[in-house]
Amino acid sequence: MNMLTVDMVPVVLATGDPARVDEPVPAKFRKGDRVTVIELNGIGHNRLPSYIKAKTGTVTFDHGVFVFPDTSAHGKGPKPQHVYTICFTAKELWGEAGHASDRMYVDAWDDYLQPAS
Amino acid sequence: MNGIHDLGGKHGMGPVVVEANEPYFHEEWEGRMLAMMIACFAAGIYNVDRFRHPIEKMDPRHYLLSSYYEKWLCTVEQNCIDAGIVTREEVDACHQQLMKEKLQ
Repeated sequence: MNMLTVDMVPVVLATGDPARVDEPVPAKFRKGDRVTVIELNGIGHNRLPSYIKAKTGTVTFDHGVFVFPDTSAHGKGPKPQHVYTICFTAKELWGEAGHASDRMYVDAWDDYLQPAS
Repeated sequence: MNGIHDLGGKHGMGPVVVEANEPYFHEEWEGRMLAMMIACFAAGIYNVDRFRHPIEKMDPRHYLLSSYYEKWLCTVEQNCIDAGIVTREEVDACHQQLMKEKLQ
């Protein structure tokens, strides 16, 4: 078991636990693509907020390749994949309660997304 | 999992209160909690995702009433139990001992 030493502390505090992976994983989507979030209801760990499930938005940015939390939290490996920023209209998320000009941007892993039909 | 942690979009939770000149820690034990979290991370007991998941699995009543660093304590305890470093019984006995000392 590794021991934390004093000299390691500033490094750990500054960098945390970076999840970025330096691997050439192909991206399933590109900026401008319309995507629908999957209806994910597993009992394990995920980083998918409920309020975007089954909602449709637009890819606005590709952050690169990251560890997939759903597998990483359960000892099933990093399953590296792209993470994107998805833009949703407030109307899409909140219906009549959403303001017509409001937008919400949420980051999502490749496995949470499918092409909008 | 569809747990109590997933509060986005929920009504009735009240405003987000932003404290002016917020200190790093409000209590001395919170600093020790950060040290424990980093020490266990460096020891390889968890990654960030293994750290988060037990917080999602907390009893919903406890989740809503506990502070940020109390949630950290819960997951450090659970991860150390899962890693076979301590048992639930030992953790519970420690809590009871600390409570007894506090009441004296």
